[in-house]
Amino acid sequence: MPRKDPVTGKLKWYKSEGAVAVYSALISILIGMAVGAVIVIIVGLSKSNISSSGIVEGIKLVFLGVFSTGRDSAGQLVFGFNGVNMGNMLFRAVPLIMTGLSVAIAFKTGLFNIGAAGQYLMGTMGTLSVGLWLGWTGCPKAIAWLCAFLVGVLLGALWGAIPGIFKAFLNINEVITCIMTNWIAANLVTWWFDAHEMFKISAEGGKVGYIIPLKNVGVVTPKLLMDKLFAGSQANGGFWIAVLIAIAMWIMMTKTTFGYELRACGANRHAAKYAGINDKKNIILSMAIAGALAAAGASLYFLSGNTEFYWSTYQKLPAEGFNGIPVALLAANHPIGVIFSGIFMSMLNISGIQLKYLTAYNEYIADIIIAVIVYLSAFSMLIKMMLSKRIKHDHGNVNAEPAVSAAPADDAEAPAEIVKKETKKGGQK
Amino acid sequence: MVFLLQQMMLYAVPLMIVALAGVCAERSGVINLALEGIMIFGAFMGVVFVRMFQDGGWQQSQGQIIMILSLILSGICGILFSMLLAFSAINLKADQTIGGTALNMLAPAIVMFFIYMIVQQNTMGMSQGGAAGWFMIKPQTFGYPKGYSFGPIGDFFLNKVYLTSYICILIFVLVSVFLYKTKTGMRLRSCGENPQAADSLGINVYKMRYLGVGLSGFLAGVGGFTFAMTTANMTSNGDVAGYGFLALAVMIFGNWTPLNIAGGSILFGLFKCIAATYSTLDINGDGVFLLNELGVSPYVYRMLPYIITLIVLAFTSKSSRVPKAEGIPYDKGQR
Amino acid sequence: MSEYVIEMNHIRKEFPGIVANDDITLQLRKGEIHALLGENGAGKSTLMSVLFGLYQPEAGDIKKDGKVVKINNPNDATALGIGMVHQHFKLIDVFTVLDNIILGAETTGALGFLKKKEAREKVLALSEKYGLKVDVDAKVEDITVGMQQRVEILKMLYRDNEILIFDEPTAVLTPQEIDELMEIMKGVAKEGKSILFITHKLNEIMAVSDRVTVLRKGKYVGTVNTKETNKQELSNMMVGRPVQLELKKKPAKPGETILKVEGLTVPSKIHKNNAVNNVSFDVRAGEILCIAGIDGNGQTELIFGLTGLEKATAGKVTLCGKDISKASIKQRALAGMSHIPEDRHKHGLVLSYTLEQNLVLQKYKEPRFQNHGFIKFDEVREYAEQLIEDFDVRSGQGPITVTRSMSGGNQQKAIIAREIDRDEPLLIAVQPTRGLDVGAIEHIHNQIVAERDKGHAVLLVSLELEEVMGLSDRILVIYEGEIVGEVDPKKTTPEELGLYMSGAKRQGKEGN
Repeated sequence: MPRKDPVTGKLKWYKSEGAVAVYSALISILIGMAVGAVIVIIVGLSKSNISSSGIVEGIKLVFLGVFSTGRDSAGQLVFGFNGVNMGNMLFRAVPLIMTGLSVAIAFKTGLFNIGAAGQYLMGTMGTLSVGLWLGWTGCPKAIAWLCAFLVGVLLGALWGAIPGIFKAFLNINEVITCIMTNWIAANLVTWWFDAHEMFKISAEGGKVGYIIPLKNVGVVTPKLLMDKLFAGSQANGGFWIAVLIAIAMWIMMTKTTFGYELRACGANRHAAKYAGINDKKNIILSMAIAGALAAAGASLYFLSGNTEFYWSTYQKLPAEGFNGIPVALLAANHPIGVIFSGIFMSMLNISGIQLKYLTAYNEYIADIIIAVIVYLSAFSMLIKMMLSKRIKHDHGNVNAEPAVSAAPADDAEAPAEIVKKETKKGGQK
Repeated sequence: MVFLLQQMMLYAVPLMIVALAGVCAERSGVINLALEGIMIFGAFMGVVFVRMFQDGGWQQSQGQIIMILSLILSGICGILFSMLLAFSAINLKADQTIGGTALNMLAPAIVMFFIYMIVQQNTMGMSQGGAAGWFMIKPQTFGYPKGYSFGPIGDFFLNKVYLTSYICILIFVLVSVFLYKTKTGMRLRSCGENPQAADSLGINVYKMRYLGVGLSGFLAGVGGFTFAMTTANMTSNGDVAGYGFLALAVMIFGNWTPLNIAGGSILFGLFKCIAATYSTLDINGDGVFLLNELGVSPYVYRMLPYIITLIVLAFTSKSSRVPKAEGIPYDKGQR
Repeated sequence: MSEYVIEMNHIRKEFPGIVANDDITLQLRKGEIHALLGENGAGKSTLMSVLFGLYQPEAGDIKKDGKVVKINNPNDATALGIGMVHQHFKLIDVFTVLDNIILGAETTGALGFLKKKEAREKVLALSEKYGLKVDVDAKVEDITVGMQQRVEILKMLYRDNEILIFDEPTAVLTPQEIDELMEIMKGVAKEGKSILFITHKLNEIMAVSDRVTVLRKGKYVGTVNTKETNKQELSNMMVGRPVQLELKKKPAKPGETILKVEGLTVPSKIHKNNAVNNVSFDVRAGEILCIAGIDGNGQTELIFGLTGLEKATAGKVTLCGKDISKASIKQRALAGMSHIPEDRHKHGLVLSYTLEQNLVLQKYKEPRFQNHGFIKFDEVREYAEQLIEDFDVRSGQGPITVTRSMSGGNQQKAIIAREIDRDEPLLIAVQPTRGLDVGAIEHIHNQIVAERDKGHAVLLVSLELEEVMGLSDRILVIYEGEIVGEVDPKKTTPEELGLYMSGAKRQGKEGN
C-alpha cells in the first residue's frame, strides 16, 4: 500500500502531485542550463578569441548572472547581491508573469494561447495612447493610470476573444487563428501609431521611432516600497499587482464554480456540455481572460513610465508574448507557480545581458536555455511518470491501474473489472 | 505584369513547398508546428553553406552549383532539426504542439547566437556579392546582353528568375506523387488516419511517422533556403516573417491535399506580393500606381494575407478533413 | 500432422495487479468453427491478442500444426496465416475499399509504385467466390457497417489466411446481416479454413459453431461440443452460477404522462437525411419505456435531441407539462430530466476530475454547494461520501480518486449514483450496462426498476435484446430514425422484434 497519511488518507506533501511537478520543473531547469553551459564550452573551445578562463566565466554567468556585480579592477568577475539586477529582474518579470498567466489559464481550459504577443501589443497600444492622452488633458493622474490600464486590458480581452470565437463557433484550431491575429495586431498597432504623430518622440528628442514614455505625463505606477528594497532599479509596484492578479487567478480557477466550469470545458468539452455548461461561452471567456492578462502585462510594463515602445513593430512580435509559454509550462499552469517561473525566466534574461556585456558571448544563450526548457516540458509527463514511479513504486493496486479511457474499452475493461472484484474481496476481509 | 507574376511566384513557391512539408508530417500523424523554426534553421544553414563555398574559393560562375548544393544541404539540416520533434512526438509521446513551439523558439535562439558569434551583428549575409548577382538567371546567363527580352512568356520563365522555383516545383510534384501513388506513401497516410489499423497490418507506425517528419523537415529546410535566397537576398536574421505559420494556414485550407495547396499558395503569394510591392505596382501598365494612389495605409496591405486567411478558414472549416490521428501519440501498448 | 491447426497451451498473461489469462488452453481443428465464450472481462480479447502477437504470454506455448511457434507481432501472425476481424474495425475511413484490402500486402512495380490492377482482380474473384459483396471503389466512410465487415473478411482472405478470428462480429449487425454472416462463416469453413468466433451471445453459438471453449474471470472452464450442450449449460459455465435470465419486477403502474414527444426531427451529422424523423411518443410515470433497435438507427440522435445536446429542427418536447423544445441543456435538466449518457468517457465523466468533482457535475451550482460562486468544499466532500456509500462505488482513494483510474463498472456506478440521486421525474438511461459484467448489470437493472417503482418515468435505450425484453414495460422499435412499432414485452418474441428492427415489419402510423 502507498504510504498515506493515516488521518487524511493523502500522500505526504513531498510526494504529492504538486511536489512532483516542482521536481520535474527543477529537472527541466537544470538540464536547460546544462545545455547552455555545454554550448558555452563548445563555442569557447572552437573560437580562438575565447580563453579557457573566458569559458569558465561564461558558465558562471549562465548560472549566477543575476548576482554579478561586474568586474573588479583586476578584471575578475565579482559576484554578490546586486540590488539593481534584482530589482530589474522583478521589473522584467512582470510582463512574463502576466503572459505566463495568460497562457496558463487558456491551457487549463484546453486552449493553447499562442496569441499572447498580439494581445500584448493591443494592450500596449491602448495603455500608451490613453495614458498619454489623459495625461495631456490634465485629468487626475490616478484616474488616468486606471483608465490607461483598463483600456489596455480591455483591448487585450477583445483581441483574445477573437480566436475564442473562431474556436467556439467554427471549431477552428486556436493556434492558427492566434498566429494570424498576432500579425494583424502587429500591423494594426503600427498603423495606429504611424497615423498619430502626437504619440511619437519628435525628431529633436533624439530617439526616432519610439513612443513618448508615460513618465513625461506623470502617469506612472507608484513604487510601493520597491525603490527602498532595490534602489536604482526599475522595479515598481507593478510587481505586487502582478502577484495579486496571480493569486486572484488561482482562487478563480480552484475555488469558484466559474473555475470549475472552465476546467471542465478544458478537460472534456463534451462532458461539460452534457452537464449543462455553456462550452462556447466558456471558451470565449477563457480566451478573453487570457487576452486581458497578456495585455495587463504590457500595461504594467509601460505604466512603469520609463519604458519606451518602438512603434514600427509590424515585422516583429514582442518576445514577451512567446515567453509566456515557457513560463506557464514550467509552472505546470499553476497560477502561483507562474510567479516563480516568471521570475526565473526574467533571471535568465538578466544573465544573458551580463553575458553580453561582460564576455564574448551574447544574450541569445538565455533564449536557447528557455527553448530547451520548453522542449523538455513537452515530455514533462515522462519525467513526472518516472518520478512518480520512484515515489509510488510500491503501489500494487487500483491506483496503478492502466488508464481505462486511453485503451479500447474491451481490452482495458478486462483488467479493470477483475481488479474491482479483487478489491471487493480485500475489503471484506 | 510579368514582374508581378514573377514576384508572386517568389512568394508562392516557398509557401507551397513548406505547406507540403506540413502535409507530409500531418498525414503521418504528427502535427508539425515547427515549420517556422525549421525554415529559420534551414535558411541560416543555407547562408552558412553558401559562405563556406565562397570562402572555399568557388566562383560566381559556379553560382548555380553552389546554390543546388546549398539547397540540398539545407534540406538535410532541416531533416536533422526535425528529428528533435520526431523524437519527442514519436518516442516520448510528448505534446506535439508544445514540442513544435519549443523548436520554434530554439531555432531563432540558436541562429541568433551563432550569427553573433560568427559576424558580431544581427544579420548574416553572403561572404561577397548578393543573391541576385550569384544565383539569379538573367539574359546574361544565356549569353544575351543585359536588358534583353525573351517576350512576355519567355521573360516569365527565364528572365530574372531563380532556378530554385523550378527545383521546388519539381520536388513538390515528386513528393505529391510519392504520397499518393507509391506503397510507402499509402502506408504513411494510413498512419495519420488510423495507426491502430496500420499496425494490425504489420506497418511500422513509428517508422512511417519518422519518415513523415523527416520529409517534412527536408521540405521546410529547402523552403527556408529558398525564402532566404529569393526574398531576403541570401541573408539570415533568425526570422522568416511568419512564413512557416502562413504555410500551416495554407495547408489547412488546402485541406491537406497537394493540388489545393498549390492553389492556396498562389493566392497567398499574390497578396504577399501586393503587400510588398503595392507602391510600385503598375497593374495595367498605364504608369499609374493605382494601389499607392488609393491612399490606403501600407499596413492594411500587409495585414491582408492574415485577414484573408482568417476569412477563408472561417468558410472552409466545415468541409475540412483533418487527418484523424494527427496529434495523438501512438502507443503500441494501447491497441 | 497434428489434429489441430492451432493450439494454445496453458497460456498465462498478467497485467500489473491482475492475471488476465490464467492457464488457458484452446485447441482449434482444421475446418471447424470454434466459439470462444465468456463475459466482458473474462479474458477473451487478451487471449486473442496473445495469438495475434499483440501481447507476449508469461507462460504457455502456441503450436501451429503441432510445431511450437513464437508470435512476436502481427506480422508473425500473418505469416502463419492468422487473420483477425477486430470488434472495432481496423479500416482507414478515407481510403477506398480496395486500398484498405491491399494496405500492408501491396504489390508494387518499379520504384515502389502501386500495382492495383492485379489486386483488384484478385479481390473481385474472392468477393465472387465467398459471396462477399463489396464496392471496391467506394470510400469506407461511405459504405454500411455490414459492408465494412465484409471488407475486413476480404482483407483476411486476400492474405490467404488459414485461421480467421472473428471478435464479437455481430454486435453491429442487423438480424439479416447476422444470418448472412453466419452463412459466410460456414462457407469459409467448408473451404477448409478454421474459424475462431469470439462472442457472448448464446444463440449464435448454437447456430453456427462446432465446439465451444468457455472462459470465466481469466480462467479456463472447459470445451464442449455444441451438439452435446444447451444454452442454459453454457450460460452457467460462463457466469459460474445458475443465471436467472428473468428479472424479478412487479407489474408497472403507469401514472400521468411525464415526457411527451411530438414530431421530433434531428438532422444527421453523417448523411443528408434526418437521423431522427418525425418521432412521437409518451413516457408515463412508473413505467420503463424502451427504445429498441440496431445500433446507428437514430437512438443517439434522438436522445441528443431530447436532452438538448443537439438541436432538433422540428417537433415539440414537453416535460412535466412544460414545453422544453427550445430550452438549453441546463434548463432541461432543471425541468426534471436526468440522463445516464451512452458514452461514459465522452459525456458522462470529466476523467481528469476527482470522483467528488464528478459527482457534483450536475449540482455544483446549487446553493448547497456554492456561495456567491465559491465552491463549498466541505459540502461537496460530505455529499460525495454519502453517494459513494449509498451506491457502493469502489475506488482507490474515495472522493479524491481521479476517475480516470477507476474501473469501468465503478465509473458507470458513479454516473448512475449522480443521476439517480437527483431524483428527477424522468430518467433517461442509454445503454447503461454496456461493457459491464453480469454482477454489475444486475445491480444497475435493479436500480432502474427501483426508480420506476418510486413513480419516476424511465426512458431506456438498449441494443441488447435480452435487456430490452427483461427490463421494459413497453417497447418502441426505432428503424432508420423512425418509430416502426410499439410492442408489449410480455406478448412479443425476439423474432418479432427482430423483424421490426430490420425494417421488415412496420406498424401503421395510427399506432403512434
